[in-house]
Amino acid sequence: MMTETLSLMGNGFISALYPVNILAMIAGVTIGIVIGCLPGLSAAMGVALLLPMTFSMDASTGMIMLGAIYCGAIFGGSISAILIHTPGTPASAATAIEGYQMTLKGQAGKALGTACIASFFGGLLSCISLYFFAPLLGQLAMKFGSPEYFWLSIFGLTIIAGVSSKSMVKGLMSGALGLLLSTIGMDPMQGVKRFMFGQASLYEGINVTCALIGLFSMSQALVLAESKIRQRAKAAKFNDRMLLTKDELKEIAPTIGRSWIIGNLVGILPGAGASIACFMGYNTARQFSKHKELYGHGSYEGVAGSEAANNAVTGGSLIPMLTLGIPGESVTAVLMGGLIIQGLTPGPNLFVGDTAKMTYTFFAGFVLIQFFMLGIGLLGCRGFAQLARLSDAILIPSVTILCVVGSFAIHQNFVDVVIMLIFGVIGWLARKFGLNNAAIVLALILGPIGEKGLRRSLLLSGGDPRILFSTPVCWVLIALCILGILSPVLMDRMTAKTNHD
Amino acid sequence: MKKTDIGVCMVMYGVCAFFLYMTLQLPKAAQIYPLCVNALLAGLTTLHAINMIRSAIREGVTSGLEDFRDFLPSQFFTLFIMIVLYLALMPYIGFYPASFLFMTASLLFLRVKLWQILLAEIALFLLVYFAFTLFLEVRLPEGEIWYMLEAVE
Repeated sequence: MMTETLSLMGNGFISALYPVNILAMIAGVTIGIVIGCLPGLSAAMGVALLLPMTFSMDASTGMIMLGAIYCGAIFGGSISAILIHTPGTPASAATAIEGYQMTLKGQAGKALGTACIASFFGGLLSCISLYFFAPLLGQLAMKFGSPEYFWLSIFGLTIIAGVSSKSMVKGLMSGALGLLLSTIGMDPMQGVKRFMFGQASLYEGINVTCALIGLFSMSQALVLAESKIRQRAKAAKFNDRMLLTKDELKEIAPTIGRSWIIGNLVGILPGAGASIACFMGYNTARQFSKHKELYGHGSYEGVAGSEAANNAVTGGSLIPMLTLGIPGESVTAVLMGGLIIQGLTPGPNLFVGDTAKMTYTFFAGFVLIQFFMLGIGLLGCRGFAQLARLSDAILIPSVTILCVVGSFAIHQNFVDVVIMLIFGVIGWLARKFGLNNAAIVLALILGPIGEKGLRRSLLLSGGDPRILFSTPVCWVLIALCILGILSPVLMDRMTAKTNHD
Repeated sequence: MKKTDIGVCMVMYGVCAFFLYMTLQLPKAAQIYPLCVNALLAGLTTLHAINMIRSAIREGVTSGLEDFRDFLPSQFFTLFIMIVLYLALMPYIGFYPASFLFMTASLLFLRVKLWQILLAEIALFLLVYFAFTLFLEVRLPEGEIWYMLEAVE
């Protein structure tokens, strides 16, 4: 077993080094950094928008490209946070505190260098847990039957309560709406057409990719269109050295180590995300710092704490999605959409047979992505900084056109474009009225899994619901569901503590 | 409590009523699961309504319009109508002409300088052409009107 895993890991690295995969990494990281450094565009939005581009690619290449966009976008947010005091993504909000102060002191290069190096180590170390925990959890999930899959999807849905930032009930309502929308299409047991409105293209249900592009990308274009077009501040020019000295590296090493653990745990925890991890990493760095007086006046240790934590989330957040098929937050939900498009079912099957080769190639690619992120980040920071000034006015029609072409490319069908626009409007309304787009998407993805699990279980037991409580794994999952429901309370306490600190 | 939340509840009840009506048209065996999900949404909406009433008693009622403080209706709806027109035009005149018209009109409306409009259009169309037309071999809508004109000639 061990030899087999080692061989898969080795072959994964060989496959990840194919020129096409290297190209995907370079393109993905570059696109991701550009998206990340543009305030107003998020990592989830970027991955959703570029999802259709991976259709014709090999599954591992497509996933490597999406992973590269994800990592690049999380790092890219720090560029605008440091140079124009506007975080490109919420994951870099804490970086802006110290990073911009360093820019004001004429140390923008050092701040960007620290962000880049910390992001690299945070991302690289997060791969360790990806390699270690993902196959273990995958093996455990192999023992799941229909009742366990039903509870697993319920667990995923209770996470909705966790990802809802303001109101748990509204989050659950969004999830229930997503569940209702997931019933559109053919009934999986009876073979009856449900709510298809005469559209043959709805036979297999709502296309998740169209829904993702609409909810995350189109709705973002509508959000940008609703308010006054803001003029961005001019990005500061810098001439100082970006690379850190040996002593400086030694000084931030413990901070990176602590932030890695924090980021990884936050990533694995469904419902939490990089935006929480960056503040936790920053606060922990401050608590343990020997130079507390520098905080608030431009501490590069603070930048390292925040950036290592948000990039350490990336590897961790992939674990529940790849092994159990439960995306814990919006970016991994979109990545899961990418796997589904490639005809793969996220879950334990990704770790057996030929699919395992793809999975380990993706893992190896994820390691290599971090190196490309470091190189492209250090070399291209000055250029990316200028892009951060791109006006929202240009982004609105550009994003709209990319949404249209992306959703059309799925089946070369105009109905998909209309569905994308409908979901765009739903997503915009959801944001305006405090509902949750991530919850709608999670329910759309998990709804059919839960329905099949429930109905198959009841079919096997002749309608006896006791089958749903028949194994210890079922009870563990029920306990996790209760924890999922309680998670918002815990998150609130954690956030309150972070804010208080 | 926000007054806008009343609207949220009304819409959710509307969705429930619509899906209930549609579910009742299905054969009996296929009704159970959609009915359960519908009941879940209705139950959660009711729970939200109860929370709203409690909050109204405790903290009073606000309009909820504070969430729309920066909202520019004329800009938003003009751009939204442009998007709808763009999609409506596309099957007739094709992807590239429709996108060119949409992008030019929306950027002129947003008062972007002409050279920036041209630059943005060139960059975007090159990206779409290389990524989707050449690389992914997607046949983007070519426009019925051109075929009709060809047939007339």
